[in-house]
Amino acid sequence: MEDSDASLVARVRRGEGPAADRLLERYFRPCRAVALAVTGSEDDADDACQEGFVAAMERIDSCRHPERFGGWLLQIVRNRARNLVRHRRVREAAPLDAGASDGRSPAADLEQAELRRRLLAALAELPEVQREVVLLHDLEDWKHHEIAKQLELPAGTVRSHLHHARRRLRLILGREEEA
Amino acid sequence: MTNDPESVDLSALDPARRPELWAGRMEATRRAVAAVLLERSRPPGPLEVLADWARPILAAAAVLLLLLGATAALLGPPAAPRPSEARRLALLSESAVIAGRAATGAEVRTALRRRAGT
Repeated sequence: MEDSDASLVARVRRGEGPAADRLLERYFRPCRAVALAVTGSEDDADDACQEGFVAAMERIDSCRHPERFGGWLLQIVRNRARNLVRHRRVREAAPLDAGASDGRSPAADLEQAELRRRLLAALAELPEVQREVVLLHDLEDWKHHEIAKQLELPAGTVRSHLHHARRRLRLILGREEEA
Repeated sequence: MTNDPESVDLSALDPARRPELWAGRMEATRRAVAAVLLERSRPPGPLEVLADWARPILAAAAVLLLLLGATAALLGPPAAPRPSEARRLALLSESAVIAGRAATGAEVRTALRRRAGT
């Protein structure tokens, strides 16, 4: 049986590294999805989720509801990401994956980089909450109820955000293809 | 929302598509967290213990000082010294000693009454 967030938080408070590792494995990707929804940049998102997670561990004693650790952590990461955007280091000049090949041919790498650029541009046209919902659902495979719990939104609202986000993304990406 | 639009393939944004970079990022975070936990488990040094004690004590002292100051301000200035009264009593004692007798109660009362301006 999986350890609950609350028990892992209690163990982290006692200084148990493996418990922190479990939380890292459980939440690092969702943290990155939330950070990506805010920053619109993969590099910034990576930085924000790393900094946010470490900051959360530093302040673990102030997590008042350990059973809601996920939502608390995502809020810290979201705030970090917003700060990063505010004091954004100029990264636009660097290509998205400079020096980071996926192990494909250069032509395939280029195609992937272009696809990422288009996806990020399309996501940027959505409201932040819709970006979060669609990334958590369609990239991280979170269920509606998990998203609702962690983002503290009604499940119906999550469904609605997902519906609108997908429809809008399809519209934008389809429009681009036609063009 | 019964007929949800089909999901958009976002796998191009999956961090695991660059496994080495992603694993490196996770490892760096794990190390940073380990350092945080180590710092938390370290027993506090003497200066930190002192600082932990000093902070509340200094805060309490500041509050006490503030309260004392406020009380003093409410009560007004302290009573002024009364040199003339002391001098009159000294003179009375001196003359009594010269006369070889103790000052009477009436004489002391008279000296004090003069202080009150009566």
